[in-house]
Amino acid sequence: MPWWEELLRAVLGAFVGTVGFAMLVHVPRRAIPVSGLIAVLSYLVYWGALRIGLSDPTSIFLGSFFGSLAGHQSARKMKIIGTVFLVSAIVPVVPGLGLYRMMAFLGQNRITDGANMGIRAMITIGMIALGLGAGAMISRIIRSRFCSKNP
Amino acid sequence: MNHIPERAPESPCMEALQLVGRIIMENGGETYRAEETVTRMGNSFGLEDVESFAVPSGLFISYRGQDGNPVTSVKRVRRLHRNLSRVDEANRISRSVETDGMTPEEAVVKLREVESMPGSFRGWWSLPAAFLCACGFAALFGAGWLSIAVAGAVAAVVQAMEMGIARFRNFGLTASVLGGLFTALLPNLLVLAVPSLQTELVVAGAIMPLVPGLAMTNAVQDSMRGDMLSGLSHGVQAILTAFLIAGGALLAVALKRVLMGGGL
Repeated sequence: MPWWEELLRAVLGAFVGTVGFAMLVHVPRRAIPVSGLIAVLSYLVYWGALRIGLSDPTSIFLGSFFGSLAGHQSARKMKIIGTVFLVSAIVPVVPGLGLYRMMAFLGQNRITDGANMGIRAMITIGMIALGLGAGAMISRIIRSRFCSKNP
Repeated sequence: MNHIPERAPESPCMEALQLVGRIIMENGGETYRAEETVTRMGNSFGLEDVESFAVPSGLFISYRGQDGNPVTSVKRVRRLHRNLSRVDEANRISRSVETDGMTPEEAVVKLREVESMPGSFRGWWSLPAAFLCACGFAALFGAGWLSIAVAGAVAAVVQAMEMGIARFRNFGLTASVLGGLFTALLPNLLVLAVPSLQTELVVAGAIMPLVPGLAMTNAVQDSMRGDMLSGLSHGVQAILTAFLIAGGALLAVALKRVLMGGGL
């Protein structure tokens, strides 16, 4: 696949897919476009990091970290609970395909391949958690440093 | 359980606190948010010694009553919905109690409205939502036009089925297994008629609406605040849901083999 097609798929797919997911968890209407954009941002960071040759876990971490930062900032700006944007930030990088492949391998009795996939998916989930946590920490520091008038 | 008449709470304060905590927890908010909101709202009502303790299955509230004795309530909470606009509204009401001095009576009225609010979209909207979600992610994973459309259709069918199941109050784990089963079964059968279908990508896209994204976020958020009990509980919920969905998908693959006469 040429790079521009991948980019197009990343932007459109992450936006449309996340808007659908946001509707499923009943995100407040005015937050929906922004949650789509945050998903695009976090997936693009992930994709870009992969393209410049970083490892998969590192890219996942960076993606969810920037998604989390953007999520916390928009939550404060729009006065909407942060969960709304954080869910959107992580949905595109959640290892749905990995978990399915793991089970498919295990079902064919290919235990080694299945375990391999499973461990990858677990690492991905751990990296997402780490990214979200780091984003929350950094945005709390930003808030206390630069916006002390308005805690 | 509903046939036991509920005794009216001692005061509108307690009723408001119970309502706000329950709304946040039942609709997919974090546990720390429920605790924080209840404590802040209680303090804004002018109550003394307000304490709240929440775990994902229960909410405990206590403050000092007018006679000096503690007033305590214990509420069993069930996770019923995934409805973030209700959580957001409850949060907003607690903020306006704090800043605009809303009285407990007014807060109770408003919170009751939030409790029966339908969410930002009506029920049948979840079908196009699931369709969009699956189409988007199938495209992201690199599927072709046909596979994208099939992924959307499969997700919409499964969503309709889940809505049917939810009516029988079996929401939760059973729904995850069945969702995974049908999400994997339909494309695996369709590929027999349409050999050009990219089964794996279709399943991966169609499974996205079922992914426990909210539970994962809550697990991280609660653990980050040091509430390990709730964080662990949400985390286990997320992982269990993911495994059950994948287990359903596994069943589907096995079922297809049996149907095709290949044995397990």
